[in-house]
Amino acid sequence: MTAAPATLRVNGATVALTPVPDDERLLDTLRWRLGLLGTKEGCRTGDCGACTVLVDGRSTLACLTLTHEIPGTEVLTIEAAGVDPDLERARAAFARASALQCGYCTPGFVLALTGMLKERGRDAPADELLDALQGNLCRCTGYAAIARAVAALRAEAP
Amino acid sequence: MTPFSLVAPASVDEAVAALRSDAAAGILAGGTDLLLDLDEGRTRAERLVSLRRLPWRTLDWTGEALAIGSTLPLRELEDDPDVRRRLPGLWQAVRAVGSVALRHRATIGGNLGRAAPASDLIPVLLTLDAEIELVGPAGTRTLPVDRFVLASRRTALGPAELIRSVRIPAARASAYRWQRVRPANDISQLAVAVARVAADGGWRVAVGGIPPRATLLPDVAEALGRGRPTDAALRAAADRASRDVALVADRRASEEYRRRLVGTLLRRAVADGLGGGGPA
Ligand SMILES: Cc1cc2nc3c(=O)[nH]c(=O)nc-3n(C[C@H](O)[C@H](O)[C@H](O)COP(=O)(O)OP(=O)(O)OC[C@H]3O[C@@H](n4cnc5c(N)ncnc54)[C@H](O)[C@@H]3O)c2cc1C
Ligand code: FES
Ligand code: FES
Repeated sequence: MTAAPATLRVNGATVALTPVPDDERLLDTLRWRLGLLGTKEGCRTGDCGACTVLVDGRSTLACLTLTHEIPGTEVLTIEAAGVDPDLERARAAFARASALQCGYCTPGFVLALTGMLKERGRDAPADELLDALQGNLCRCTGYAAIARAVAALRAEAP
Repeated sequence: MTPFSLVAPASVDEAVAALRSDAAAGILAGGTDLLLDLDEGRTRAERLVSLRRLPWRTLDWTGEALAIGSTLPLRELEDDPDVRRRLPGLWQAVRAVGSVALRHRATIGGNLGRAAPASDLIPVLLTLDAEIELVGPAGTRTLPVDRFVLASRRTALGPAELIRSVRIPAARASAYRWQRVRPANDISQLAVAVARVAADGGWRVAVGGIPPRATLLPDVAEALGRGRPTDAALRAAADRASRDVALVADRRASEEYRRRLVGTLLRRAVADGLGGGGPA
């Protein structure tokens, strides 16, 4: 196995990473190399969506993405809430609708929703916004509150 | 998982050369299947050849015929308005794969390369008479999907060969219907694809979601006749399908449930293919 330096932009800052093993997942780079623990690991098999981040504005499962496969891209994680306007809107909608209990799944949901706002625009239709969340699992809040967060976001769309 | 090293060749020739120099190397596209297979020990490779720098993220229409580059993320295929309009069955099948986030990385080449019995794309590609363009040490060759996918997780891909593109001729109609417990990230208990290809106007029917692989059902298609099937023809075709398909029971569904499902999904897919709409 080999390891090479990698360069990414994470939440607006360029990060030059010291040798990253070829088989390292973006999820591990974010959590263990960069200490960005907001991105969660639920299943590591693509099923739960807890590890969802944005790569060049598109929702991506960090557990199934090799860090070396996305050189030079812009990665956005939950730590950029308050900085990125779409992310902040999605986060605030979840908070206002009390769409979380333990919160473990929340960063993944919020990033998946943010991704759809970037993909389809701030006035994306509700069915597209909900479609973006189909791959995310929540074990404790239930989906009704999450659907209310999406509806509220939609109602306040410009 | 054993650790692996990664190379990302900048040209097709280099990619083929890298695969020739290491017969045990794996081919990496979106990685949504391969990384899991490596994690879970179903596949072993000490070296992966990444296709990310190859110029294959393409979508080309020539008239009503479509060529899809093998490394195009499925989400981009789904976002092409002409795919939705001209090949609705393909569009529905692509939308059935995983989740939006998965489709941002998953590719059509990877779906064919893995040749999973549960693939949502293979049944539709079978009904659309799709052809797979391969490139390897001896140059390029083209195979119909039916001869490319051999069995569960087995394809006709030769040593150091790569899937370059998928070619789909014009179709008059197409539709895809599936049944599963969870809409996203789940495997279909059964799926039915139907299409009428422009070349001869006849129906094609394929069933997926059951091992060992998706299969065309020529007798069922025959029973549908040409053009708009009569109610009697549709009933005959549905009966034939539930009799002919070799169904299995597993933890996803019983054989009896699947037997009922075949006819139901066939009727829905044909109605949709005729422009009747219905639930997606
Ligand atoms: C959570 C989850 C849900 C899923 N849901 C579905 C679903 O609903 N329906 C469905 O059909 N699939 C599903 N899949 C499977 C998978 O995502 C798809 O098959 C996807 O299209 C694979 O593409 P990839 O680019 O990620 O393939 P990779 O993982 O990169 O490759 C898969 C295989 O194909 C080979 N390969 C890749 N590209 C080429 C090429 N150009 N030439 C030759 N060989 C190649 C690889 O070596 C590997 O063996 C799911 C997967 C996960 C993890
Ligand atoms: S941890 Fe990535 S999808 Fe569950
Ligand atoms: S809030 Fe606990 S899993 Fe979703």
